[in-house]
Amino acid sequence: MNVGTRKILNRSFTAVGIGSIVVMGIALLIVIVPIIYNGVGAVFFTGTIEHRNMLYNEFGEGDEAELAKQNAAAGVYRKEVYAMLAGFEAELEAMESERQQEFRSKYGSVRNALTALMGPLPGDTGAMLTRFKYGQTRWEKAEEKLHEFLYEAKWDYSDPDAMAKEYYVSRAAEFEGTSLVKIFPYVEKHLEEIMRPEFTIYLGFLTDSSVDSHIFGGIWPEIQGTFFLAIGAMLFAFPLGVIAAVYFTEYAREGLFTSMLRSANSTLAGVPSIVFGLFGLAFFINTLGVSESKSVLAGSLTLAIMILPTIIRAAEEAILSVPRTYKEASLSLGSTKWNTIMTVILPAALPGIITGGVISLGRAAGETAPIIFTAAVSVGSAIGLADVFSSPTPALSWNIYNLASEHEAAAEIRHVQYGMVLALVGIVLLLNLSAILLRARISKKLKG
Amino acid sequence: MKRVLFMMAMFILAVAAPAFGAANTIVLDGSTTVGPLAKSFAAYFTKKYGVKVMVSESGSGNGAKGLINGSCDIATLSRAMKPRELSAAKAKGISPVQHIVALDGIAMVVHPGNPVKNLTKAQIAAIYTGRFTNWKEVGGPNAKIVVIQRESNSGTQEAFKELVMGKTAQISKDAETQASNGAIKNRVASTRSAIGFLGLGFVDRSVKPVAVNGVLPSVATVKSGSYPVSRPLYFYTAGQPTGTLKKFVDLPKTVDGKRIVSELGFVVK
Repeated sequence: MNVGTRKILNRSFTAVGIGSIVVMGIALLIVIVPIIYNGVGAVFFTGTIEHRNMLYNEFGEGDEAELAKQNAAAGVYRKEVYAMLAGFEAELEAMESERQQEFRSKYGSVRNALTALMGPLPGDTGAMLTRFKYGQTRWEKAEEKLHEFLYEAKWDYSDPDAMAKEYYVSRAAEFEGTSLVKIFPYVEKHLEEIMRPEFTIYLGFLTDSSVDSHIFGGIWPEIQGTFFLAIGAMLFAFPLGVIAAVYFTEYAREGLFTSMLRSANSTLAGVPSIVFGLFGLAFFINTLGVSESKSVLAGSLTLAIMILPTIIRAAEEAILSVPRTYKEASLSLGSTKWNTIMTVILPAALPGIITGGVISLGRAAGETAPIIFTAAVSVGSAIGLADVFSSPTPALSWNIYNLASEHEAAAEIRHVQYGMVLALVGIVLLLNLSAILLRARISKKLKG
Repeated sequence: MKRVLFMMAMFILAVAAPAFGAANTIVLDGSTTVGPLAKSFAAYFTKKYGVKVMVSESGSGNGAKGLINGSCDIATLSRAMKPRELSAAKAKGISPVQHIVALDGIAMVVHPGNPVKNLTKAQIAAIYTGRFTNWKEVGGPNAKIVVIQRESNSGTQEAFKELVMGKTAQISKDAETQASNGAIKNRVASTRSAIGFLGLGFVDRSVKPVAVNGVLPSVATVKSGSYPVSRPLYFYTAGQPTGTLKKFVDLPKTVDGKRIVSELGFVVK
């Protein structure tokens, strides 16, 4: 190969390298930016008076006097709306029956759209479910509902040979010639006065329990459950993993048996997590009976088995990277093997061991499959420390999946889902960051 | 170092400290169709009696298994327990007791843009067995039908097969499988030529229910029995429930419970 071709090859390799880094960066941006943007929207958003009422009634948060003042101010405009409704209802009663029939169902959908926007109207029976007790709590949702109130979505089925297209009909036009026609421009014009949007910082999203299966409220039970599961897994896996690594590096004799153990460990690291989930159900719950039903304990044990191989590998590498001279110096001073391991080798290997541990902790926090059958529930309250042996818990990873697919009102509460995603990413990031800091601190100390 | 450890300990304590005690919990597992009911009952029950209720939705089949294995207190099922499950329960010394929560129609849903308004049972069966593959064959536009079914674990799937196709019929291999009501709704709402089936409580503006044998699914038609594809939803307990468990199981019979059922779009028994 002459120098020219080598140069070209070299350059093109550099270009491919830079290119792949750029692609990775863009991919990261595409993934991370929407997560952060939408996730932050769960805490920082433009909230309406319905949000403040909900907070006051469900959690007792907020200033009562201030809220009463705001409600009174909004009430002035709401009363106008109610009066228009009452006026039309009287008019409806007076109509001849054929026209009345025609308007009654149309009026029903107007009332429904208005209820969705601003909460229960006078004459409604009080709702049992919290989701029907309030109107839209977020301004952008309120604007969406306003559109639904002003325009009816219809489908054009005129061509039977093609799929229909959606089009919108102004409701005002449908009520032409009745007194209700005034209500549409009125609500459109005074939406701000009726809903009183205000920039809101809802930190309670992180610390409150959910209300009415995540329609309102926060995600505290999920955050807590995630911590319990991850820390529980660590309590089992970390000591076991370090002990196993010490055995592999210091005690085990190289031979068929050890190499088999090693390759078994590597294989275990590559087993899909759903297999661990099913194993956990079959072994910990059905065979050992560590708990009667799904529980944090069973979930932690399952996660522990899943992260164990990674911890063993990381600890092994860390121990092997301790210079031989440390060990030899210690032994030559007459120290026993056990003493050498405890006082010389393990402290020197600690930064590496901890890094491996915390990365596994992050993985345990984020895994869904192992906890589906062993620990996770879709709705539940935060559990106390005393309940971890018997109670299952909601957890971020599983609830994100649940909200994305199974929840009956999934499209209405995307912000909660994004909030959970950001919280989970945040937790994992925080754990990794603390690993880096801890490692730096210990290394510095070791160097003296 | 010590300070860091101390801070970590404090943090863990802060996470763990609240709400010690109150060990009494009720665990529900099973149908995704019963999910909204179970979750709303749970919230109501916790608020009223201070008893924690945990709800998971992993499918009717898993709910039944959970009850037999003792991993849940109440199995929520969108079909009756099968003889095989009952005998498995008996072998473990459990006698499952059935409680009807509500009635539910299985709505056949299509994309709102689909002009098809009515299907007969025979037509639906033909679509799901793969004999009809184009909407033209049932009076719609020329488009290939995307058939969507639930997973084998689903009670809605089994009820659908039994009510529409007959027990022995085989669903076409081309049918796509989704794991929950919500997932079917999303798929149908975003696919113009899809057909799927949902519990009545899940139907909203994003999909269009079609009439079956000329009857549209609604609370009224399910209640009167004129809508042909409807079934009861169940709670199953191991033996006759007592104490708080009984109170929970009896919720659907109370005034408040009935209101919750109808507000969620299900039909009060």
